Amino acid sequence: MRSSYRNKVLDVDLTNGTAKGEPLAGGLIEMYLGGRGFNVRRFFEEVPLDVDPLGPENALYIGIGPLEGTSFPGSCRVNFTARSPQTGLLGDSNAGGFFGPELKYAGFDQVVLRGRASKPVYLFIHDGVCELRDASSLRGKDIPDTQKAIIKELGDSRVQVAAVGPAAESGVKFAGIFCNLVRAAARTGMGTVLASKNVKAIAVRGTIPVEVALPQVFDDLVAEIKKEILVHPQYKGRVYLGTTALMSSLNQLGCLCTRHYQTGRFEAIHQVSGERLADTLKIKGKACFSCIIPCSRYVRIEEDGKTILASEGPEFEGLAAFTSKVGNPNLKEGLIAVDMCNRMGMDVITTSEAIAFLMELYERGDISSSDVDGLDLSFGNMQAVYALIEKIARREGIGDLLGDGAIEAAEKLGVGEDLVMHVKGLEIFKADPRGLKGYALGLAVASRGGDHLRSEPSFEFSEDAETAKRLYGTEDAAFRLKYKGKGKVVKDFEERCAIADCLNACKNTLVNMEILSYDRMSTLLHAATGIKMDPEDIRLIGERLVNLERMYLVLHGVTRANDTLPKRFTEEPLPEGSGPSAGSVVELEPMLDEYYEARGWDKDSGIPKDSTLKRLGISGLVDGALRRPSNRSQFEEDLVLGR
Amino acid sequence: MMVDLKVVVEEVKGFCDLPMKPGDYFEVRGSAIVIPEGGKVCLWALQSLMPLLPLKQRNIAEDNDWVPHTDKIVCPDPKGGVVYRIEPLGGSNSNLKSKSQNLPVRIVADPSKCVGCRVCELTCSFAHEGVYGPDMSRIRVEKDETIGKDEPIVCHQCGTARCMLACPVGALKRNPATGAVEVDGDICIKCKTCARACPFGAIRFNPKSGLPMICDLCGGDPKCVKECTAKALEVRER
Repeated sequence: MRSSYRNKVLDVDLTNGTAKGEPLAGGLIEMYLGGRGFNVRRFFEEVPLDVDPLGPENALYIGIGPLEGTSFPGSCRVNFTARSPQTGLLGDSNAGGFFGPELKYAGFDQVVLRGRASKPVYLFIHDGVCELRDASSLRGKDIPDTQKAIIKELGDSRVQVAAVGPAAESGVKFAGIFCNLVRAAARTGMGTVLASKNVKAIAVRGTIPVEVALPQVFDDLVAEIKKEILVHPQYKGRVYLGTTALMSSLNQLGCLCTRHYQTGRFEAIHQVSGERLADTLKIKGKACFSCIIPCSRYVRIEEDGKTILASEGPEFEGLAAFTSKVGNPNLKEGLIAVDMCNRMGMDVITTSEAIAFLMELYERGDISSSDVDGLDLSFGNMQAVYALIEKIARREGIGDLLGDGAIEAAEKLGVGEDLVMHVKGLEIFKADPRGLKGYALGLAVASRGGDHLRSEPSFEFSEDAETAKRLYGTEDAAFRLKYKGKGKVVKDFEERCAIADCLNACKNTLVNMEILSYDRMSTLLHAATGIKMDPEDIRLIGERLVNLERMYLVLHGVTRANDTLPKRFTEEPLPEGSGPSAGSVVELEPMLDEYYEARGWDKDSGIPKDSTLKRLGISGLVDGALRRPSNRSQFEEDLVLGR
Repeated sequence: MMVDLKVVVEEVKGFCDLPMKPGDYFEVRGSAIVIPEGGKVCLWALQSLMPLLPLKQRNIAEDNDWVPHTDKIVCPDPKGGVVYRIEPLGGSNSNLKSKSQNLPVRIVADPSKCVGCRVCELTCSFAHEGVYGPDMSRIRVEKDETIGKDEPIVCHQCGTARCMLACPVGALKRNPATGAVEVDGDICIKCKTCARACPFGAIRFNPKSGLPMICDLCGGDPKCVKECTAKALEVRER
């Protein structure tokens, strides 16, 4: 039967240099759908809880979704999953661009990398074949040079490359895997894991077309969805600014991370806003594979007739990271810092947190320039920011301290542990959670640590009281500064995000623009795969995945006590000058109660109830994980959970 | 009865030092050239236009008449590139626009507008093969992310098609309705000579059948153009 699944997993043993193809396990599709679901399911079962994240036993799972490679807009992402060297918990990160569809055209739904290669290699996966190729000449190369060298060697400009940069090679714990140069699976250190396997890059090229089960039904439905996107109220704004629109809008709301979350409004916003970027430096729009919303941008900076930067990006996170967050009013300088991180292959969120956190310590007088290699870390000093990025990527001087992440740096410096803005070891985004109560809850409970993309409860911006009442039982759910109903909103949106990650489709369209209801998803998946799933069954896949990921954390000792936020957000009100958000803190506890109840988790412990696990059909899986033998590694002993 | 004409500067592609600007025009009324007050017309462009003007004034529409296909003249200065459009004055029932609906078209791509999404490739492969496979598409986007290049490559619908001339067995034929070069799979010997002859690198081969894939304009109304939301693809009359 024609299906948009390949029903094929590529299982690579790097230690022995062998690979095999095998079909997807029975029932996997119906219970986990694809991408993040496939990855987490296998990871949970196959990888010991106490595995050393950078040891050969930690497997890296690379998954894509059933709509990948079809004309469904934005179904282009790829998930990378392993135990995180950064948090010690679930590592999972995804990237857009063109890598995912190319993997589908090469004939696979998932790739598993096990062991460690004896010498530097890169993988070349093409039309059902996998080669390990020598990468010794690529060592130390940055992301663009790596991609160029591989494409040149393989002699095909259509090869898609996912690579790690110098940061991953020098063991920076928050290094990402970069597809298409700047499309980063940046979070939780998946690049560090790939580099630990002695793998510099994964190159894919495929020519096997995707055949859907019901071609005309599928194509008609996609045409209908595209039409709706083109008249969607968010369409024009997204084409103009993409996520960089958040600079101005969050600033307006008074919750744009400014000078390391010290206030919610940046006085130089007009110099660094998304509008400014689009109007002055954007050359043209850029889109991911198969997407009709070119929300990304190609930018060029020229000085004295010389091009000093030409690159795609940045998104909101990168832009805010090196402008408002470090107090820098110079757009061009901010872009250069983002570009440096991209070249070195580091997560901009964690990198900027490590830097901005030091800047705050410096401002408070807790550290002096002698502690930081003689740098002047005043907010806004971009020369110091550049120096720190270089030092982190090479792990030189103070950069060696920061390369393990801001939390470990704070420990070693002996100051400012409360000032690292993270949850469960993962640093948070550039909106101030005090002004966004639903997002605050989402960060506190997210299954990979302080992450906004696990829930993205954008409904709380809607001010649509009627829908709020209907869906979540209270009008408050539609207002960002209110608390009631947020537990239910976050639960709902966590499941939508989980499904988006299983489809490996874009959350901008699926979750924020809400173009694909569960009903429609059921029809679309049937047309693509020939498999009938009820809308409720699809939602259950999301709920199951959230619970399975939660159980992974629980088995590592996570409880309600860890579902928290940095003190600044729960105790210090946003200062005057933060507009309509001024005076806000986050009162997490009532939201947590509501969330656990909606989830079917024990309120005191935050642990899923047995009945919940049974209902979702994962209690056997959890029991299995508990029964596996355990050898506590050195890493485990070094890891202090619940920081 | 002769048709009166208006000749308008449609576009300045190069550099005109006169300068002629888009929108500048003059009129041809009977045998007189009428330049609006304060206006001017470039002598070199005018001498290029001259032979055409009386032809355009005829009020006839014959089959196979080449005149209706030619309503644009570019100035002879290679650096100038000033495009003049000849149109009937007052929208009279002239031969100028009478056949435009049936005119053969070509797809023109603008790399500076292309966002690189490759929707055109998916649209083409689905329309022609019923599958989603960029390598089954007759249009493709050449990309180089290191310099931000997104360049759609597609058949230019050449007047003198080198692919046709190069084909040793005569497997390439022009569709009389659309003007597109089409492949006769029964005759083609898959020698790839056509692809080597194409100056634009626009011919690729079907990975399954080995036959050349050449844009057939979807029968005259190309689907990729309709699906290109960035408007990097455009249909223009030949």
